[in-house]
This record gives sequence, C-alpha cells and structure tokens, in this order.
Amino acid sequence: MAAQQTCGNFTILDAPEYEDVLQCMRCGFCLPTCPTFVLTGRERSSPRGRVALARAVSEGKLDFNQAMKEEAFFCLDCRACTTACPSGVKAGEVMEVCRAQVHQQIPAPKWQGALRNLVLKKMVPNPGLMETSMVPARLYQKLGIQWLVRNSKILKLGPTWIDKAEGMLPELHRPLRPQLPDLSLAQGEKRGTVAFFLGCVMTLLYPEVSRQTVKVLNHQGFDVITPKEQKCCGAPHLTEGDRETTREIAAFNLDLFLDLDVDAIVTDCAGCGAALKEYEEILAERKDHERLSLFHQKIKDISEFLCERGIRTEGLKPVDKSVTYHEPCHLCHAQGISKQPRELIKAIPGVDFREMKEASWCCGSAATFSLKFTDESQKILDRKLENVRKTEAEILVTANPGCHLQLAWGLREANMPQPVLHITELLGLATPD
Amino acid sequence: MIAQDAMQQLEQALGKEKLVTAREDLLVLGYDSTPGLHATPDLVVYPTCTEDVVKVVEVARDFNIPLTPRGSATGLSGGSIPINGGIVICLNKMNRILEIDEENLTATCEAGVVTLDLFNAVAEKGLFYPPDPGSQKISTLAGNVMEDAGGLRGLKYGVTRDYVMALTCVLADGSMISTGGKSVKDVAGYAFKDLLVGSEGTLGIVTEITVKLIPPPQTKQTFLAYFDNIRTAGEAVSKIIAAKIIPSTMEIMDKATINCVEDYVGIGLPRQMAALLLIEVDGHPAVVAEEAEALKAILDEVKAAEVHQAKDAQDAMKLAEARRTALSALARVSPTTLLEDATVPRSKLADTFTLIEQLTEKYQLTVGTFGHAGDGNLHPTVLCDERNEDEMKRAHAFYDELYEQVLAWGGTVSGEHGIGIAKKGYLAKQIGSGGVEVMRRIKSAFDPQGIMNPGKIFANEGE
Ligand SMILES: Cc1cc2nc3c(=O)[nH]c(=O)nc-3n(C[C@H](O)[C@H](O)[C@H](O)COP(=O)(O)OP(=O)(O)OC[C@H]3O[C@@H](n4cnc5c(N)ncnc54)[C@H](O)[C@@H]3O)c2cc1C
Ligand code: SF4
Ligand code: SF4
Repeated sequence: MAAQQTCGNFTILDAPEYEDVLQCMRCGFCLPTCPTFVLTGRERSSPRGRVALARAVSEGKLDFNQAMKEEAFFCLDCRACTTACPSGVKAGEVMEVCRAQVHQQIPAPKWQGALRNLVLKKMVPNPGLMETSMVPARLYQKLGIQWLVRNSKILKLGPTWIDKAEGMLPELHRPLRPQLPDLSLAQGEKRGTVAFFLGCVMTLLYPEVSRQTVKVLNHQGFDVITPKEQKCCGAPHLTEGDRETTREIAAFNLDLFLDLDVDAIVTDCAGCGAALKEYEEILAERKDHERLSLFHQKIKDISEFLCERGIRTEGLKPVDKSVTYHEPCHLCHAQGISKQPRELIKAIPGVDFREMKEASWCCGSAATFSLKFTDESQKILDRKLENVRKTEAEILVTANPGCHLQLAWGLREANMPQPVLHITELLGLATPD
Repeated sequence: MIAQDAMQQLEQALGKEKLVTAREDLLVLGYDSTPGLHATPDLVVYPTCTEDVVKVVEVARDFNIPLTPRGSATGLSGGSIPINGGIVICLNKMNRILEIDEENLTATCEAGVVTLDLFNAVAEKGLFYPPDPGSQKISTLAGNVMEDAGGLRGLKYGVTRDYVMALTCVLADGSMISTGGKSVKDVAGYAFKDLLVGSEGTLGIVTEITVKLIPPPQTKQTFLAYFDNIRTAGEAVSKIIAAKIIPSTMEIMDKATINCVEDYVGIGLPRQMAALLLIEVDGHPAVVAEEAEALKAILDEVKAAEVHQAKDAQDAMKLAEARRTALSALARVSPTTLLEDATVPRSKLADTFTLIEQLTEKYQLTVGTFGHAGDGNLHPTVLCDERNEDEMKRAHAFYDELYEQVLAWGGTVSGEHGIGIAKKGYLAKQIGSGGVEVMRRIKSAFDPQGIMNPGKIFANEGE
C-alpha cells in the first residue's frame, strides 16, 4: 500500500513519518522500561503516550503545543522503548524528530536561541574551538544538567538542587585529539587498518580511555588512523533538534572518513557510534545511497569490532579482578550491542565476570543520578547502585562517557569502593605497553 | 463537560494534583490496546487510596457522571475506553502490595499492582502466583480480575478467577463491599466475588484484591515441537489432552507469528515451519519425567517435524517471553492488527485451524494465528490497515463467519479478553436474549443510575 504522507499540524521539514506512529498497537510493553514513565506514572510521559501525541498532531487533532515541546525534551532519548517494543516502534526517535519541530514551531526565548546558536552552530562542529571554549556547555548537556533545568518543574525540584549538581562536575584534561599521532602502527601480525572516531567528550574528559583504545587496537593487530579534521558526531545537535547543522556535520564526516582506505571506522563512545549509524537516515535525501550504506556498515563500536574480528588473547596479562558491566543505552538499545562487551570482558584472562541485575536499565543520561534530587528518583538510583553492590564486583565496567560520569559520581556519593572503567581501560590493563 | 460544581467538589476532595484536565493528557487516556477505538474523557483522576475512590464515586453519583475505570489499558475489547466521556479513574498509582501472608498462602494488593510485580514479590518468598497473561509485565491485577485474564499457564493452573479470594469494591452509590476472605471455603450469601470477577468494571470499582498463592512446581521441562502442517499441531494438542497429560503450558504459533516474533527476538525460531507448539510440563520430578516421555511419544506418533527440549530454565524462560510478544510482534507487519479470542472445545482445534485457513483464503486476508492451544483459545489476528475500508469489511466478514461456526461447535466468542465495546454484538448470539436480560437486571441492582462503565458489554438497540 502506498505510504500516505500525513503531516497534519507538523511542518513538512523533519516531521515524524505517519507510518511510524501508526505502527504502535498500544500494548504498553514499553511502559515499565521507560524511566520517565516510571518516575511520573503519567501516560503522556511514556513511549506509548508520546507516540499517541505525535499521532494526534499528525492527524490534526492536537496543535504542536507546549506539551509536545515538554515531552520532546523530557524524553531521555535512552531508547529503552525501542528494545522493549515488539512492534518495532521507535518512540525515542519520534521525540528526537519532534525536537526539530520545536525549533520550527515554538519560538525560543531570545537569550536561549542565541546561546544555542553560539554553542551548537559555531563551537561544537569545530574541534579546535570546542576544545577551548565549549567545555562548560558540552558538559552541562552531557551531564544532564540541562535536562534538569528544563524539566525542573515537571520533576518538582527544590531550589537547592543546582548546588548539589555542581558536585557532579568532573575534572578536565588536556584534549587528546591534537596529541594522538595521525597513524599508529599495528603490533605483531597485522590484521587490518581502522580509522578512529574520537568523540568530543572522550578527548576532553577521558583522554586516557581513548589512548587505551588505540593501544588495544594496535596490540590486536590494527593500524589506527586518527584524522585530525574530524568534527563532533552531531549527537548534541540532534539532541537539541537542530537537524540542519547535524546534516552539515554528517556530510563532512562522512566524506572525510570514506576517503580513507580503512576496513572500519571505530569509536569507543557509544553515543557517537549511535549517532554515526544514524547518518544514513539523517542524510537520506542525498542521492548516493550506496555511499551512505557503506559508511553505516563501516561504523563499529570498539566491542562490536573486536568481537567480529575475534580477540587475540595471546600475550594478554591476567587481570585478577571481579568485574560487572553496566550497559549504556546508546550501545544496547540504540545499537543492539549487548553480548559483545560481555564476551570481551570474559576473554580477559583472570577476570571473574559477574552479571548484575537490570544491567540495561538506564543509569540516567541524567534521569536516575541527577534525579537524586527528587524523592522518587532516589529510589531509581538506589536500585542501580544496589544491583552493583549485590554483585560484590571489584570493578564496574561501562562503555560510554555519559554513563561513566554518572556512575562514578553515584558510586562516590554512596561511598562505594568500585572504580568505573571503560571497557578498553580494562582491556588496556591486560595489554602489555 | 463536567459541571463546575462537580469539579470544585473533586478538587476539594482529592486535591488538584490528582486531577488531569489538559487536552494532551486526556487524549492519551482514552485508548487501550484494542485497534481503532478511541474516546476522549472530560476528566481523569488518579486516586491513591480507597477513600479517594469513594469520594470520586460520590461526586459522579451526585452529578450523574459516567465513570470508566482504567488499569494499564492493555485491554483488548475496549473496556477502559470512556465512550460516553465523563471521568476516567486510573488505578495504576494504587500499586502497593499490602501483605504476603505466608501462613495462609495469600497476598493482598491494591488494585493497580502490576501482575509481574506480584509474581516476583511472592517468588522471593518461595511462593507462586500462576496467572500470567501475555501482558503481565504491565497489566494490573484489577484489570486481570475484571477481564478474568488467562495466561500461558491456564491449562493446568486455571485463570485469574481461580485465584481471587477476596475483593474490596466501591459500588456506584458510593458504598463499599468486601466479599470473600482468606478462608478457603465460604458459602455465606450470594457469591458476589464470583459475579464481580469478569464484570469488566460495570458493577463497581475494585480497590483491593486478595489472591491465593501456591507452592511453585519443583521442576519443569520445556519442549518446542515443529509442524509442517498446522492441522497436525491441532491434532497433537487434542491427543495430548486425551492421553490425560495436563501440561502447564501448551501454546501455539503459526508461520506468520513465528516469523514476526523471530524478527523481534532473534533466538532461532524455525521460520519455514507451518506451526510450533511450546509445551511445558511441571511438578514432581518423577511425574514430570513420565509425562515428558509420554508427550514425546505422542509428538512422534502424530509426526511432528522436529522436537527440541529447552537446555535450562533460562532457555525456557526466553521461549515463554518470546511467545508473550506474539501479538505486539504481529503488529510489525501492518498498521492495524485485529485480533480475536475464539475458544473451542479442544477436540475441535484441528477443525478450527482448517476453517481459519479456508476463511483466510476466501476473504483474501493476511492472518497470523497464535494462542493458548491447550485451552482451545486461539487468537486469529488479521493484519490489515484501518484506512483500507474494503479490507476492514472483509476482516469483519471473516470474523462473523468464524464465530458462527465456533458457536455451533459449542465454543465462545471470548475466552479471556472480555466483551467490552468490541464484542457487544456477539454476546446475545452466544447467551441468548434471556441471558442478556438477566444480566441487565443484575447490572441495575448494582448500578441503578448506569454510571459504571456505561456502553460496555450490553448492546444498545441497533448496535
Ligand atoms: C500484548 C498483549 C497480550 C495479552 N495477553 C493476554 C493473555 O494472555 N490473556 C488475557 O487474558 N489477556 C491478555 N491481554 C489482554 C489484557 O492485557 C488483559 O485483559 C488485562 O487483564 C488488562 O489489564 P489492564 O490493567 O491493562 O486493564 P485495562 O485494560 O485498563 O482495563 C480492563 C477492564 O477492567 C476494568 N478495570 C480496570 N481496573 C479496574 C478496577 N480497579 N475496578 C474495576 N474495573 C477495572 C476496565 O474498566 C476495563 O473494563 C493481552 C493484551 C495485550 C496487549
Ligand atoms: S511503542 Fe511498542 S511497546 Fe510501546 S505501546 Fe506501542 S507497540 Fe507497544
Ligand atoms: S527514549 Fe527513553 S525516555 Fe524516551 S520514551 Fe523511550 S524509554 Fe522513555
């Protein structure tokens, strides 16, 4: 049957596809996995409710109003609903598209627009500038403080939360991007060449992690090329609903990386990986579909890549530790990568792997941790920490800078001893220098 | 529209934060999982205790406002849809488990406790609450009670009704009744509890439920049997029952369902097979071993294409989980999934499958069939597009013809999803006008004003 394009009260540019919202059969399977529903008990703050609202706008039954704006930005974009939905509905993505509608349909307060433009248009896309001046804004976003500011009313936050939030700010490092060599060579028998996509937050907050990623890749037999001109992956712009800038950035990165002669484009940031894999959709209007799908095929999360190629265990030093693993939403829900990190961890000699309960429950892209400021959310936070505690593992491993920040802060607040390590840091411990 | 005075009284009684009036909220509180049905309430209330419920009913009574109870809105017959407007009363925030009584083997819960949450809570104490509808991870206990929900374990363990021991209920005049109790036997007075179970919110609002718990089975074995022909699967079911084996679970999925579910779960279900049966036997280890042997012999005899056994408990759980997603997974393929709930005596299963195949052909439709085969309860699901009028007409003709035969065989139009809005027309056909008349009299004894979930179960003239 011909797909019927209904835009209703959406503007034509960047509207959710009607077919996508019609797909929801309202079974409610997604409800218990959605942090914002669990937190509020409100149907409109659930995936089912959000899709129904989008459908009502498509059908002209509801204006694209303030409530739509609220839901578009209250949604954590954690994609737990995508994994939970047997019908293949992607409520998180529908909300992401709705964010673009917000900018088209609801004028932002002037100061906010100006700040947004400055932050997103001028700074982030250019690695040089971003690294000097964009730190606070990017962090503000990544830590979910922005989400809190925006939703403080819905969440009924008291006046003092912002002071507490300051405690979440991590330490900044000298950016890694300029320090990494353009090419670092494989060790042992060479198995191929990869390009490294180095995320903004990784280069600033976790340079040591990405250094380990390169070291591990080299030791596993891969030459690593790190193109210095690469730009931000576009996730911050997408998150903010600025699809136009996202398209510009995407086009730039896509051409830059596809011009390299590499077997794969590897990233160690789950958020970047998810965004890069969406380029195909974001740039769908381009004619060179083959190039788009080639790019998609080449993007690999580090765990995905190493598992596909098979991890070389000879020469690895034992790491005699017990380890548990928290699944980043942008890895398990957005990219469907769930088995691979566990396989890698288990492949390290000496490691005692302990599965935690509810490993894929969102740690918070702000929600759970930041929400420590409300009573209900304290429960959600406690639930995650309790699950970590019960494993009695010595190390907590994850694979995304957002989760890394949240978890490290949460554990510290709860006086728990576990360090948080990125999966390549753990592999790094096993890899000789 | 709700009268200004009524609003004021409600605000005073409950406080503003429990009332919802914004259009965007109302829009998403007027559907359930039944395709094509939607209505917008005038007001939604979220009570957090029985007293709140009483206050809401009192105002509704005084101002003659329709009241529609809602749990998690996973109903499949439109029960929680406010077709006459008025107030939707959402019970999903009343979700505390009040007591697990290990001496009497009972649990007492508020109406909005999620089925799976209760299952897990009692499991932690080494007890077992068997009813497990496909929607268990979000459906509420009151929703289960009001629809008398079945589940995957219905064959051996029965349905929700078999576990309800006591109910606390607010009636349409604002009075409360408690019916039943923790005693296992009780013949004092009319069995109100049994009347309320399955009444779809038309007799009163349940606020508290006490259910029976049992010790969990010591062990179980899970099998997957594949078939080249769905009729054969039906025969297998009849033969297993006739051999006096009562598996705890005996679920069927046809080819279309297998493929949709596999698209979602990706656990290696056989895409090319015509049907599969998921069979579980549980209980005492010696009995289980015996039943498993007998089961395999029957599957052999009817020439099942392949028989596999689940490796371990986790593997078995994955299979049951996969089966639970069947309906939602079928919704992947088409915008609209019209599902039915036909139930036949189990000796008629193979014939029912043949009939479904014939009718699918006749009306040129795409149909996926799955269901609780062991209960004779099938969900033939038409995969269609509500925007295609002609296709919808054919779908309805398909069901009309199917039901005519199902009733002729002594079956029922609804095994577990209830009548609600969707099946009002069929009810009289099944129970006759005399039956409907008695039901009407009972209804007006409970609810003389007709404010409790109006527009459900009973067809108006011309409907
Ligand atoms: C994917 C899927 C699978 C399903 N599988 C099964 C299955 O295997 N077996 C089965 O039997 N059903 C199944 N169902 C149907 C449905 O889940 C059940 O009917 C369930 O019991 C409904 O619970 P709910 O909380 O969602 O109730 P709702 O849909 O909210 O309400 C159901 C009815 O109960 C009334 N009600 C709700 N709460 C109260 C209350 N406190 N007092 C009075 N009346 C009340 C409502 O008015 C309505 O008439 C399935 C549904 C879906 C979507
Ligand atoms: S989004 Fe998916 S899981 Fe959620 S109600 Fe719709 S169909 Fe069901
Ligand atoms: S993306 Fe996360 S927060 Fe948003 S609707 Fe889905 S589950 Fe809820």
